[in-house]
Amino acid sequence: MSNSSNSGKSYLEAGETHYAIGHPKSVFMQWMLTIDHKRIGLMYAAVIFVFFFVAVLVALSIRIELFAPGAQLFDGDSYNQAFTLHGVIMIFLFIIPGVPAVFGNIIMPLMIGAKDVSFPRLNWFTFWLYIFGALIALSSLWTGNGFADTGWTFYAPYSLNTNTNVITTLVAAFVLGMASILTGLNFLVTIHRLRAPGMDFFKMPLFVWGIYATAWIQLLATPVVGITLILALLEKMFGIGIFDPSKGGDPVLFEHLFWIYSHPAVYLMILPAFGIMSEIIPVFSRREVFGYRTIALSSASIAGIGYLVWGHHLFTSGMSDLAKTVFSFLTFFVAIPTGVKFYDWVATMYKGKIILTTPMLWALGTMITFVIGGLTGVTIAMIGADIHLQDTYYTVAHFHYAMLGGVVFLLFAGLHYWFPVMFGKMYDEKKAKIAFYLNFVGFNVLWFPMFIAGYQGMPRRYFDYLPEFQIYHQISFFGALIFISGLAYMFYVLIQGMKHGKPSGTNPWHATTLEWHLPSSPPPLENHSKVPYVDFRPYEYHHGEPVVKFDYKTMKRID
Amino acid sequence: MSHEYVPEIAVDRDGKKHEVQGWQGDFYGGKLGFWLFMLTEVMMFGAMFLVLTYYYSLHTQDFLDASAHLNRLLGGTNTVVLLFSALTMGLGLLKMRTGDVKGAKTMIWATIILATLFLGIKGVEWTEEYTHGVFLGLDALQSGNEHSRPFGQILFYGMYFTMTGLHGFHIIIGIGLMIWLVKRIDAGKVSPHHHILHFNIALYWDLVHLIWVFVFPYFYMIGAGDVTGGAIHGH
Amino acid sequence: MDTNTHINYEEQKVGYYKVLVGLLLLTTLTFVQPHMFFESYTFVTQLMIGALKAWMILMYYMHLKGEKLIGWTVAFSLVLVVFFFLVVIADVNSFQFKDVSHITSQPHIDVDYHHASHEE
Ligand code: HEM
Ligand SMILES: [Cu+2]
Repeated sequence: MSNSSNSGKSYLEAGETHYAIGHPKSVFMQWMLTIDHKRIGLMYAAVIFVFFFVAVLVALSIRIELFAPGAQLFDGDSYNQAFTLHGVIMIFLFIIPGVPAVFGNIIMPLMIGAKDVSFPRLNWFTFWLYIFGALIALSSLWTGNGFADTGWTFYAPYSLNTNTNVITTLVAAFVLGMASILTGLNFLVTIHRLRAPGMDFFKMPLFVWGIYATAWIQLLATPVVGITLILALLEKMFGIGIFDPSKGGDPVLFEHLFWIYSHPAVYLMILPAFGIMSEIIPVFSRREVFGYRTIALSSASIAGIGYLVWGHHLFTSGMSDLAKTVFSFLTFFVAIPTGVKFYDWVATMYKGKIILTTPMLWALGTMITFVIGGLTGVTIAMIGADIHLQDTYYTVAHFHYAMLGGVVFLLFAGLHYWFPVMFGKMYDEKKAKIAFYLNFVGFNVLWFPMFIAGYQGMPRRYFDYLPEFQIYHQISFFGALIFISGLAYMFYVLIQGMKHGKPSGTNPWHATTLEWHLPSSPPPLENHSKVPYVDFRPYEYHHGEPVVKFDYKTMKRID
Repeated sequence: MSHEYVPEIAVDRDGKKHEVQGWQGDFYGGKLGFWLFMLTEVMMFGAMFLVLTYYYSLHTQDFLDASAHLNRLLGGTNTVVLLFSALTMGLGLLKMRTGDVKGAKTMIWATIILATLFLGIKGVEWTEEYTHGVFLGLDALQSGNEHSRPFGQILFYGMYFTMTGLHGFHIIIGIGLMIWLVKRIDAGKVSPHHHILHFNIALYWDLVHLIWVFVFPYFYMIGAGDVTGGAIHGH
Repeated sequence: MDTNTHINYEEQKVGYYKVLVGLLLLTTLTFVQPHMFFESYTFVTQLMIGALKAWMILMYYMHLKGEKLIGWTVAFSLVLVVFFFLVVIADVNSFQFKDVSHITSQPHIDVDYHHASHEE
């Protein structure tokens, strides 16, 4: 445990890590047993992007099936399994770990000047718990009666009666939930305990605020769905009666408990993504972020209010009229802090010196797609409109605009932004921009027609449809082709950058936060060779230049 | 933790020195982390109590009837057993902190014995219920056969076995943790100056106790007034 | 922080016993309550006694007293649980189709349980 924080070697080099157990010789085992937050974050990234691609391919097969009315690729049952598989992978294996597991791990400790997270061994354990959960989920593809066909929501009583492999999927979701809880727990303690001296909560970068708010959701909301899945499991195995109307149970209760978690979970996805946006906008506008406190506190209040609005998913499920009215009203409130953030970002850019690098392009693109996703969300928070639009493609388009056009786009933005920190190299900016445009155009062609189809009544989760919807599905299919080629090209450019990119130096973007003031790029094992004293705000620019400068030997300010 | 961790010092612009908090040997961090973990347990059991209350308000009379038939003598004994085990656990930690390692170990063993006693009594109780035909998977708790209990009772017993079962599971984990703790003490890894593990396991045990404080009245006591099994309350 | 404070075993021990006696008294109360007072409010009364016991355990056995940050986190999660309770229970209690839904069968509606599941 003693070597080398000053040896200047990168954390990626063989032997440059601490281990959970023993001192393995082989490079492979060094990665498997590493407790370094940066390496763990990279491994998460590798795994979740593999799953992302699997789920994208499943989505492509769904789109092929929907190219024409009637059955082409799937019959009804396997179509049900296909969208369940797509949803389960995207939600539980990809986007819930998502930004926190990757950048929360790699970047957050660097931003607050910590040597690692508070419980590095727990972090290692958590990663393997996640892998274990993922294996359980995948195992149900080949065991029993095939993958679950319930949709990713596992609604009772159908999930209690179907003979597909729901049990395995429920266990997997529970294990993955545990991993998510432990990640949040680790980050909460890290942020409370390991901030560099002088850095109080209002000197933290906004990404850290996003991770902090998210961690509270991971910690307190996940157990609720965890136990709900356990109860559903016990119902399936022992028939304890819960949620099963033939024994007096109430399926609506399942929906309550499920959404008590799963609505906050959408903020769990978006808050750290917003954090990425809040990092990128000031850096490439070369201006101090406008309304730092309002952004920070809006993250906190979104996390708080997010707990109070789950009922908007139950408008058509037999909830009482009283509860419907209350929930519709509360849901509108969540839009307020989100709106505040948007205005703050726009105000930051106003009169700024905007530099259109790839990360900035992704951020700006997201501002368009997420506004569409967010505002259509407000429309279906109205009970009247929702009765019409629930379970149509309007809703499906809404959440793809929010999750894919919001969270995933910002994840990509972060990937481009922090690429130099992670690998010490730079990708080809020109090609990366082409990849962005392909993605952006493809995405909109893919999902925008679905608003119209849904508005006109195309229901979700159907493999067949009336001929009048065909045109929309066909446009959508071509959008999917463009989008998926864009994705493939983007990853190609990034991997090329990883292999052959030019050295980036420690701070290629002229950014201000601590992850850009490391002794080397990529950083050494224990990060900052000396921890700086933080007596400055995170985004101080003057005439387009960073204010704070360090003597990197002593990490004292010299400006 | 073979050799002492020396915290780094950060120097501000006025030359003042500030100690950097490392993750190593962070007692408060360990405590905070464990409390956060316990909050997740609170949310889990909270959600189960929510389910219970939901069905209580749907099927109130069935719940009271079923509750009236639980064995209050055994349940009450277990309540007292857990109460004393919380005391031994607390005193053990106190002894550890005041340097009496041997005394601390005795107290931990006492707690283990009480915990085992709790499980034994629970076992007797479940067996008794099983012989009366009330158990998960038996006809009485399934719908649509001649032994079927009313809806509310099926749900009551379903939750009863689920929640006391999960609570018992926590007791088993607790026993495992305590045995591990004794081993760590013997190995010199837990000592009066480094007792975060002991501290947290003591917290865990209090949590297990705390959950029982609600499980007990929720199942055993709500129908205790209905000596006749609730029949007189039917309208 | 807690590792090298000097504490007196004999002094602290007394506190533990005091709490024990308090808890035992409350447990006794639990047993006599259904037959002695508030008989028609047994459910609520029992939970109030439970809450009191829980408070003592939290404050004294779990040393929550004086913990600022941890105290707030505990309070926050309890408030959340209470909110979930209020909303969900309010929902089930104002369910419009109580009289026709077969899962809300009240004792005075003569439902034949044995056939309930076949009738669907
Ligand atoms: C290439 C990109 C994607 C395509 C072409 C795509 C396509 C689709 C389609 C067509 C459906 C509707 C299936 C139906 O209702 O019949 C669907 C459902 C869904 N998608 Fe995607 N999707 C993509 C990316 C994503 C991403 C990135 C996420 C989340 C992070 C996601 C999450 C979901 C979820 C949760 C469902 C609902 C599944 C269910 O009904 O249970 N998708 N997707
Ligand atoms: Cu929602």
